[in-house]
Amino acid sequence: MAARQAKLIGPVVVALLVWGANPVASVEARADQQTARREGSQPTTTAPARRVVSLVPNVTEMLFAVGAGSQVVGVSSYDDFPAETKALPRVGALLDPDTERILSLRPDLVIVYGSQGEVEGQFARAGIHVYAYRHGGVDSILQAIRDVARLTGHQSDGDRVIRDLRTRLEAVRMRVRGEPRLRTMLVIGRDVGTLRGVYVSGGVGFLHELLDLAGGDDAFGDIKREATQPSNETMIVRAPQVIMELHPGEQPPAATLQKERAVWNMLASVPAVRNGRVHLLYGGYLLAAGPRIGLAAEALARVLHPDSVK
Amino acid sequence: MRASAHPHTRGGDLRVRFMSVVLGYGALALAACTLAPLAGSTHISLARVFDRSIPFADNVDAQIFFVARMPRVLTGAIVGATLASAGVVMQALLGNPLATPFTLGVSTGSALGAVLVITFGSSAAAGALASVPLASLAGAVVASAIVYVLATRPGRPISTMVLLLAGVTLNAFFSALILFVQYAADFTQAYRTIRWLMGDLDVGSFTPILAALPMVLAALAIFAFLTRSLNLLSVGADTAATRGVDIGWTQRLAFFSASLATAAAVSLAGPIGFVGIVVPHLVRLMVGVDHRIVLPASALFGAAFLVACDLIARTVLAPIEVPVGVVTAMVGGPFFLWLLVRRS
Amino acid sequence: MLRAESVSFGYSGGFTLTDATVTIAAGAVTGLLGPNGCGKTTLLKLLCGVLHPRSGRVMIGERTLASMTRRELARHVAVVPQETHPAFEYTVLEMVLMGRHPHLSAFQLEGPADFEIARQALDATGTGHLSTRSYMTLSGGEKQRVVIASALAQATDILLLDEPTASLDLGYQLEIASLLARLNVERRVTMVLATHDLNLAASLCKCVIVMRDGRILAAGATDEVLTDQTVRRLYDVEADVQFHSRAGHLTVVPIRRTL
Repeated sequence: MAARQAKLIGPVVVALLVWGANPVASVEARADQQTARREGSQPTTTAPARRVVSLVPNVTEMLFAVGAGSQVVGVSSYDDFPAETKALPRVGALLDPDTERILSLRPDLVIVYGSQGEVEGQFARAGIHVYAYRHGGVDSILQAIRDVARLTGHQSDGDRVIRDLRTRLEAVRMRVRGEPRLRTMLVIGRDVGTLRGVYVSGGVGFLHELLDLAGGDDAFGDIKREATQPSNETMIVRAPQVIMELHPGEQPPAATLQKERAVWNMLASVPAVRNGRVHLLYGGYLLAAGPRIGLAAEALARVLHPDSVK
Repeated sequence: MRASAHPHTRGGDLRVRFMSVVLGYGALALAACTLAPLAGSTHISLARVFDRSIPFADNVDAQIFFVARMPRVLTGAIVGATLASAGVVMQALLGNPLATPFTLGVSTGSALGAVLVITFGSSAAAGALASVPLASLAGAVVASAIVYVLATRPGRPISTMVLLLAGVTLNAFFSALILFVQYAADFTQAYRTIRWLMGDLDVGSFTPILAALPMVLAALAIFAFLTRSLNLLSVGADTAATRGVDIGWTQRLAFFSASLATAAAVSLAGPIGFVGIVVPHLVRLMVGVDHRIVLPASALFGAAFLVACDLIARTVLAPIEVPVGVVTAMVGGPFFLWLLVRRS
Repeated sequence: MLRAESVSFGYSGGFTLTDATVTIAAGAVTGLLGPNGCGKTTLLKLLCGVLHPRSGRVMIGERTLASMTRRELARHVAVVPQETHPAFEYTVLEMVLMGRHPHLSAFQLEGPADFEIARQALDATGTGHLSTRSYMTLSGGEKQRVVIASALAQATDILLLDEPTASLDLGYQLEIASLLARLNVERRVTMVLATHDLNLAASLCKCVIVMRDGRILAAGATDEVLTDQTVRRLYDVEADVQFHSRAGHLTVVPIRRTL
């Protein structure tokens, strides 16, 4: 179960990238949503939240990072980082939030996805503050950290985390500054054992920004979508110099790894394949839109420009 | 007012009709298969493709032609031919021109197999067993077997009504299972399932094609054998029996071969809809209803049709690709509207 | 000569036909008469091999039907069903050519001889001018004539017909009746006609077999078997069976129900 959960953080995030931003909200819920968001993002006079339920795994990470971990009383079905979340009650996720369970935990703040308009409306009517998280780039992530820090009374911790992250990201950027930009295909999904069902970053979103920071030019950056599914022909034509696959789970045994890497050999003319620059990276931090993006950026940079790492 | 039937011939040139249809539609299919790899979202030069002086691994045009487009066009031709001819056989078996290769549950079974693997079997460690094509093939076989057991009695002819009911029952039940599994799936898995359901001809190598080919050829051979019996069967089962057709065998062979063909096609490229019903209809409008002509014509026209749809799918919104099942649906919808208008 | 010897048939519920023995006279038109559910359709299906008897056997000459393959049997016995509803729009010629199936091997196409036989069958039923028409666009009488032509194309000695005029109006009924009479004489085809139209049977059939509740009540020359008493026994109807001089055969006029 744990292994399955580990695999799921990333895909949930990824899936959100893929899903786009179309909230399925009734007209009534939409009105409530507006109210809720206003309350959620500008809490100037309210007291810090003491009991927080979070349906969004990467925001849960943020809560723990700013020192509000002890204030978290409920997490989503897909939470698994940090380790403390495993002991916390589970209240569902994007498709199946268990509002009864959430209410039974008596929260004073519930963190939901921006597309969960109806749920927002329900909590707003119950008088509970709602913070709606919307996916975006690195700036959105930092803003979200600031927001949840303020909401939980850890403003200074939040600012510190943000400062550290910024420093870290800047360090990565400086480190690779002198290196040539490499045209990179950032693969976030692929059917096991074949080259079918390939999903790549399409030029928008935090993964794209991390890649950019790490010295890579997104091979599909012109598509301007969070993810796209290229055909074999398109991949041949785009001829990336580096192919990086991001996997949220654990690294498989060496033989399997070799086999998965060898799948790309079919595209013989692609420079990444010719020059042995096909990299498979494993780890939940790679796809978590939260406090670990610094770690992710460093990992990407290390793979893209190994010579630049001291 | 219905016009009188297409001009029929006097004695002797059934053979001529057959040959001219096979040659004509064959030429169409051949043209589609040779021209389609030349066209696409990227311009390639035929001269460069076959330029031997450039090493294959460096020749981008050749890579596009042979690695990316060729397998895709071949898959399109095979899947198109298979689904179209399976549609013809299914329509004859069920005595209904609105039947499709998916009516008796094969594609729902495939979908269940695929969605189970996508949701629960997606760890790299599971290896080949986690393969979606294999799982969807297994699902198709299970579904067909269940329908067969439900609908048949040993030694007795199959009632088409019972067969249809069994297929509807299985579709409903397996669809419910699919919904249940999807609910347990996370977002990426749900999206991958949806994507699989839209069909994908971009197989990337010749291996999956070679794997599916024996099944396809076996099914097509059985189809060829059945054609005249299908004519008689579609006039009435009892009447066909009095004319010397072994109804039990004919029905069982038709069911088995149509299911095999559909299972192979779906495990290769996902359940691509409308080919199995639009093509037979169109072909019957052009060549009449004798299955000995309709079957080969549908196979060849189906190949050309799907290759053309795939060409549209990969060029119309380049660099974004429309799933081929969406294109066939967009052709199918208006087609049936036109049929409806024409009849009323 | 076609005969059934003590045949019985039924599904797990009960028997639809019990211990029936009939001999079909060669070259004649024989009628199978009886109310709905009397077993005449079952007997007909047993005679053409579509159904297999639970006990007893059906023979053609010295051979049992069970010993013959479907195709072989189809070269001896052809059937005209009550209704024919093809799922696709076959032409008249295609429908008639289907009768050639038992004479063709698996991948063989119809040859000039087959087309000639089909043509003759069409001419014999007066439907030659309809050969390129779609079957579904024909009138009721035309359709039935085409189906008969299709059975003729099978080139058999024996023709079984199940309620051949049941769905036709009066004009077409007479048309088909006279066609069958003519075919019987010109082509010397043995015919068995299952019908509940007593007047049709009286006009066409030299012999009749009457059935009720799955049993044969009587069999023999029409003049002898088709009487007032027979009609009462079959249908619980009081009727007047008389020779009609203008029609040239027996006619049955129902008077009232007796129950």
